[in-house]
Formats: sequence, C-alpha cells, structure tokens
Amino acid sequence: MSFVIRQIAKRADGGDIIRTRTLSAPEISVGRGTDCDIQLADLGVMLRHAKLTQLAGGLVAVEATGGVPLEIDGKFVNRADLRVADRPGINLASHRLTLEPGDAAGDVAITAERVIAASDAADATAETEIFSLKGALPTKRVMAWTLGLAVLLLGLVLPVVTMLGRGTVDLPADMVAEAARPIPVVARSALQRALGVAPATARTAMQPDIVWTSGPMSGAHAGITNSCGACHQAAFVSTTDSACTACHKQSAVPDHAAAERMARGRFVPTGLGAVEAGIHKAVGLEQGRCAGCHKEHEGPGGALMVAQSFCTDCHTGLDARLTDARIANVESWETHPQFKATLVAAASDSAPRFERVSLDARPKEASGLIYPHALHLSKSNSVANMVQKQGLPAQNGALGCNYCHVADSDGERFKPIEMGANCGACHDLAFARDGGVVRTLPHGKPAQVAGIVRDFYLSQALAPRAGVQRLAFERRAPGRMAEVEAQQLRLSGISDARSRAEAAVDQIFSKDGVCADCHQVQRTGAANLAERWRVMPVTLADHYLPKGRFPHRQHDIYDGKTGDAACVGCHKGVPTSKLATDVLLPPVAQCRDCHGSSNVKTNVAATCDTCHGYHSGTDGATTVVAGRAGGSTTQPGRKL
Amino acid sequence: MATRAPRTMSGKAVRRAPRDITHEGFLTHGGMRWAKVAGGLSVLATLAYALTDQAPRPNGGTALGYLLGTVGLLLIVWLSTIGLRKRIITSRPYSLKAWTSAHVYLGLSLIVIGTLHAGFQLGWNVHTLAWVLMMVVIVSGIYGVVVYARLPAQLSANRGEATQPQMLEAIRTLDRQLDTAAQPVGKGEADLVRLSLEECEVSGGLWQRLTARHPRCGNARARDAIQALVNEQMRRGPPDPALTQISFLLERKDAALAQARRHIRLKTQLEIWLYLHVPMTIALLVALTAHILSVFIYW
Repeated sequence: MSFVIRQIAKRADGGDIIRTRTLSAPEISVGRGTDCDIQLADLGVMLRHAKLTQLAGGLVAVEATGGVPLEIDGKFVNRADLRVADRPGINLASHRLTLEPGDAAGDVAITAERVIAASDAADATAETEIFSLKGALPTKRVMAWTLGLAVLLLGLVLPVVTMLGRGTVDLPADMVAEAARPIPVVARSALQRALGVAPATARTAMQPDIVWTSGPMSGAHAGITNSCGACHQAAFVSTTDSACTACHKQSAVPDHAAAERMARGRFVPTGLGAVEAGIHKAVGLEQGRCAGCHKEHEGPGGALMVAQSFCTDCHTGLDARLTDARIANVESWETHPQFKATLVAAASDSAPRFERVSLDARPKEASGLIYPHALHLSKSNSVANMVQKQGLPAQNGALGCNYCHVADSDGERFKPIEMGANCGACHDLAFARDGGVVRTLPHGKPAQVAGIVRDFYLSQALAPRAGVQRLAFERRAPGRMAEVEAQQLRLSGISDARSRAEAAVDQIFSKDGVCADCHQVQRTGAANLAERWRVMPVTLADHYLPKGRFPHRQHDIYDGKTGDAACVGCHKGVPTSKLATDVLLPPVAQCRDCHGSSNVKTNVAATCDTCHGYHSGTDGATTVVAGRAGGSTTQPGRKL
Repeated sequence: MATRAPRTMSGKAVRRAPRDITHEGFLTHGGMRWAKVAGGLSVLATLAYALTDQAPRPNGGTALGYLLGTVGLLLIVWLSTIGLRKRIITSRPYSLKAWTSAHVYLGLSLIVIGTLHAGFQLGWNVHTLAWVLMMVVIVSGIYGVVVYARLPAQLSANRGEATQPQMLEAIRTLDRQLDTAAQPVGKGEADLVRLSLEECEVSGGLWQRLTARHPRCGNARARDAIQALVNEQMRRGPPDPALTQISFLLERKDAALAQARRHIRLKTQLEIWLYLHVPMTIALLVALTAHILSVFIYW
C-alpha cells in the first residue's frame, strides 16, 4: 500500500527529468507548499490543494483541501473515488496527476507533470515581434499586394470587363426624345442657367466603370451619368460625333456652316497652339468635333460652357480666310460691328428682295406700305380720338405699341401684322348697307373689289330694294354712319348704274380713296374695270436681325421704364417717324448701355451666345441665293 | 565631392581621399541642391498654370494638363525606385544620400504638380484615388523625415546601454524571480503575482505600441495590490518578507517594462510610416496605371 510518485520536469534542451519516490503512507497531500508530499511549483495550485487516500478494492479517494475544486475527466468536483485501474487523471492548474497501478500489487503510481508550459513571455525568438511592427501589422509586402490587387480589381479589371461585355446601352426614352427635338428659342436663351441648377441625379444603374469618370456630368446629361458606353463607344477612341448625333439629331442641332466653309474659315493656330493642334490632328482629335467645344465631365454647366474665345478665335480675321464671307469680322463684343438689318429692298407678291444693310448707312426700307408711326402714336389727333372712342388699348392717350406689335408665344418676337386684326378697327372697308347687312370690300383683292362694286350698282338698277344705302369711307366713330349717308340709293337705269359703279371704283382706288391711305396705287388705264387699278405689293420684314436673337419679353422693363416707354427707350425714332421707310432699329451701341463685356463689370454680361446661336443652320435663319457681302437674300416674306 | 585617390602602388603610402569630416544629412545635401530644383519646378508649374488660358477650364486634359501629368508620372516612377537604389551599394551615378535628398524634395514638388494636373477637381473616381494615394504617400514621407530627424536621439537616450535582448532578458529574469518568490504565499497573493506573469504584455497591439500605454497591465495591477497588502501588514507589524520581496520585484519589473515600452513606442513611430509609404506607393503605381489607361480607353 504505497504511492509511487514520478515527478517529471522539463530540461532546458527539451528532455525530461524524472524523479521517482515511494511514499509508504495511505494518505498523501498535494500542493504548492513545501510540506506537501507532492509539491507542485505552480502559482495556480493552492498551498495545500488536495489529499489522496488509498481505499480497498483498487480505489483512491481524492479530496480538494484548498477550497478549489479538482478537475477530473472534465468535471469539477470536491471529492471523488477513483478506480486506479482506469488510469484516471486529475488536473490542478497547469499540472496533471495521472494515477495507475504500480509495479507491486496494491501500489498506486502517480505521475505528476506540467502540461501547460510555464508562461515565458520573453522568448528569445519573440524579440523581433515585440520590438518591430511585424508583431502588430501584416507585412508591408502583404499590404502592398492586398492594396495593389484591390485597386487593380476595382480600378481597372472590373471596368474593363464591364466595358468589353457591354452590348447596347439603354438610355431613358424621354431624354432621347428630348435630345432629338430642336431646342426652342425661348428655352435656349435660358438654357445655360437652367442646366446649371439642374440636380445631377443619375437615372440608369451604376456600373463598375463609373470609377473612370473624370468629373460630374453636365446638368443635361446627369441622367445618363452611369451609362458610360452611351458616349464612350470604343476603347481608345475619343467620343465621336456619331455618339452625340445618335440622340441629338442633325435636324435639332444644324451645322454652323457647310463643312467645307468651316474648314476654310477656321483659325490657324501659331506657336504652341500649332503644336497642340498638330498633336490633336495626329491622334485623331480633329477640330470641329462636337466634343471640341462641348466638354463633358466639367460640372453642371459643362457641356454648354463654351468660352467666348471659341467664337472669336475664328471670327477674328475671318474675311482673310473665308474671302466670300458675308459677315463682318468680330474680335470682341466691344468691337462688334454695327448691326446689319435685313431690310426689304423690293416688295413683291411672289419674290420680295431683301438686303442686309448696316444701320450706320442710315438705310431706308421699301416695304411698299404707307404708315407714319408718329401719326398713330399721337396723343391729340384724330387717331388718338378714335382710339379713345373705340376703346382700343392706349397708353397715356395714344395707341399702344402692342396693339399692332403682339408678342409671339416665345415672347421673343412679334406676331405678323394683319390688316384685319391690326388696322381694320379704324380702316374700315364697309361700303354699303343692304338691309341689316353691312357689305365689306375684300382686302388685298383689287379685281374682286371692282367686280363687287359694279355688281352692287347693277343689281340695284335692275331690281331695286329698299333699305340699301351706299356708305362713305371716311373713318368715323361707330353709330355716326347713318348721319353721313342716310339716303336710299336710287339709280335711274343700267347706264346710270354702270357710270356710278365706275366712278365709285375710281374713287375707291384714287389718291383720296380708301386704299391709298396705306397703299401705293397705280392706274393702269385698262378698259376692263377690274384691271384698271393696281395696288403696289407690300412686304413686311418679319425678322430684321435673323442672325441673332433678342428676347423682347426679357426687356419688358428697360432703364426703369415699362410699357411703351420701354419700347421707345430703344426704338428711339418711333414717336417721330413720319415714313414707313424709316428703319427704327436700335444700333449696337444701344445694347452696350447695359450689356458690357464679360470682362468689364457692368449691369449685364454679354457673351457671344447671349444673342447668337451656333447651331442655327448653315446661314442663320436666312437662305442664301446670291452670295456676296451685303448681297441680296430672300426670305419667306409676307404681303399685306 | 571626394576626388579619387591615384591607384599607383609606388611604394609610398597611398594618400587617402579627403572625406567630409562634418556630417551632412540628406536634407542639406549639396547645399540644398535638390530643394532648389524641386522648388524651381513647383514655381514653374504654378506660373504655367496661372498664366495659361486653359479652355474651358484647367484639368488633366489640356495641353498643360498632359505636360504636368507626364512630369508627375515620371517623378512618381523614379521616386518609387529608391527601394531598388538603396539595395545597390554604389556611389554612382549619385550617392544614396544625394538620391534620398532628391527623393524627398522632388517628392514634395509632386504636391504642386499633381494637384495642378488635377486642376483642383476631385471626385469619387480612380483619378482622385491616385491623387489621394499620392498625397498619403507624400504626407507619410514627410512624417518619416520628421521622425528620422527627431526620434533616434530619444531612442538612444531611452535605451541607455541596453540592447533589445537585454531589455527582454531583464523582464524574463524578474519573472523567474517572481515565480520563485511567490511559491510560499497563499492563493490570493499568488493569483496577484500570476497577473504580472500571465497578463502582462510587453508590446501589445498597434495602439499600445504607439502610445506605450497599457492601462490593464497585469504587472501594474499586481504591483498596486501587493503594495496595498504590504502597507496593510506594516500597520500591524513587520510585513511578510515574501510579500515585501514580491513587491520589490514588481516595482523593478515595472521600470523594466516602462523602458521597453518606450523603446517600442519610438521604434513603432519610426517604422509605422513605411507601412503606409511602401504599400501605398505600390497601390499608387497600380492606380496610376488604371488612371492613365482609363483616360485613354474612355478618351
């Protein structure tokens, strides 16, 4: 009945030192204390940790004596009877006691060994880890590979795969439809501002190649920010015009001029500019591409942020390169040439002739109409009286400008002037009263007028009716008609009727007649009454400065004035003009009163595109028929 | 610059080539030659940027933008070769000191060149990523220059004559002494000593290395608790000699730990920037490749 104790200690070189003792006692103590039978130098072990007692039948009673339970087969117990034949193990802190039958019958062999190595934080091999960052961070090599591969994947591989795998690009249908429409004039003048504040929200799904974007898109294109492939269609090929015109149809953005003329007129850079141009040309970035002017990825205003120099580069000294140019050179707003108005040179019913003439030449216009502005804008004459009686729109007692000049829907220009709408209220063509019906002569049809008058007299001679009166053409206030000619028209016979009819027609067309108020009338001397008089044609220009735009509505208030005062603020000659041949357009100096150079601090900035469009067709709004500066052009004119 | 000694073996003593006696660091190398070059480059780039009409606005796509971009690219590629250069032991064509001087100053000029190349336009894209990585590399480099100039003196002062293994050995010896000294004491006291032995890290994580602060240090906790016990016993009579010995050992270990941890803090501060500088440089080179390829792919 002995305990055979084998204590195993580790040598420095890793080998074991085994010390064996035999204790002939039925009970032994285990602990850290020096008085224990099995002393374990382990601070986790109590001074007196446990007591082992041999029992009969190959059992050993184990009892915790230090107040700390013992760990036996994974369970913590305060006492247990162990069968030695089962070779049970007892864990005490870092040590383990293994019980087994001894060599002699009845002996119990106990092996005590440290199973958890003593903490030895300062291992010599740990020096590098402790003193260098190797112990706290991944190595630089690992970090470099990780970061490098992450950047490669997200910055290059994924975008390239996306680009190569892309089929067609779906764009929002409404945006495509919008792009195909010509930009309305009224929108165009406010376009840049509008686009500048448009919120930049993408409307298509984000794709990995978005990381290649070089900056925010313009307001107009913000919706397709994520659709790189819409514009960047082929690798290593700069955005082509065809990518632009896929949505922006040619009809919506017409060319500035014929390609051949553009090529000739384009300025030739010198010095470093020539080098740059040469490089551009060598790499396929030809001048005149859409993207040459419309730079994207430059922020909300980007695509329309066109520098003034883009215009003046070519328009400075243009006449030297494009010798047949019919427009003057423009170097800057300060030296902008005097306006050349498109004036009617010869009125015609079918083919009126127009000329562009500088306002400096104090030109006259040959519209064919007789219309003294001064007479119609008087506050005290018969016109003013008529305006008052008829209740026509008046300003300070005179006929308002806007009675005849009615703003069009854009508020940019004015509706065409029509005899019926704008003149007819006073210039009445009623010639007879037939019972309850007032008979009116048709405007613009002299032969019809002669026929109607002749038939009127003949019918009255053949079958006289009561209540038929001939009316005079003097302009008068309504209600005074009867007083002027209240007599019943009575004719003595056919020949009387014929001569009365001829006299009436001659009276209508003659110098004192109703037509000659506004028209030049020619007597042809023809025997046929219907061909005896000819009214000379009238052509009214409907766009004096077609190469620019002037949104009149934005100028409703001018120099603190409103209404007609604002109109004549610029059209200064109007109140005193006695002839329709007067050209009453303001000169360019008038604009400069408010619109200073973009470089000079004035009330309103003026860049080229304040007034001019680039995509206005190959020759502004007019069509060239005969080319030379100041030459003749035709435009769809109107006759009155 | 040292002139080369004649290699003739005439029997007379060969005269040593005269060397600079006084130390000249890389920052002041060659009369700040590279500082002047880099400064001139930056001024030139700034003037060109200010005086050139870049329509519609400055960015990498204008003529000047391409020029600055090319210069920047060449600089970055050259700057990144210092890792190769420093592994080649040679004095030609430039000494490593001259190379380092140029590396530092030309690297600084990249702040100007890179930013002007970008035209101050930054966004969420691979181009700005390259700029940000470049700036991280430069700023970490500036930090590196500063700590290289200041910390070695502190490092030297802190370690005294002790080497790193000696610092560790001191702690290890104290641990062994503590283990022995604690064998006779009861469980409560022994557990306190185990705090010092088992829950006391010399280095710790990155933050602890950078600050040298270990608020939960087992040794400090053990020291305070044992000291309190000793004080308690002293009020009643002579304290347990074992405890007094443990207290003394814990104090000594505390001092040894403090020295080692200060050493670690200084070394960490000296090393940490390279953990940004080098991997970020590699990432920058990749981002730069993506940047250049992408602008030409999506031209």
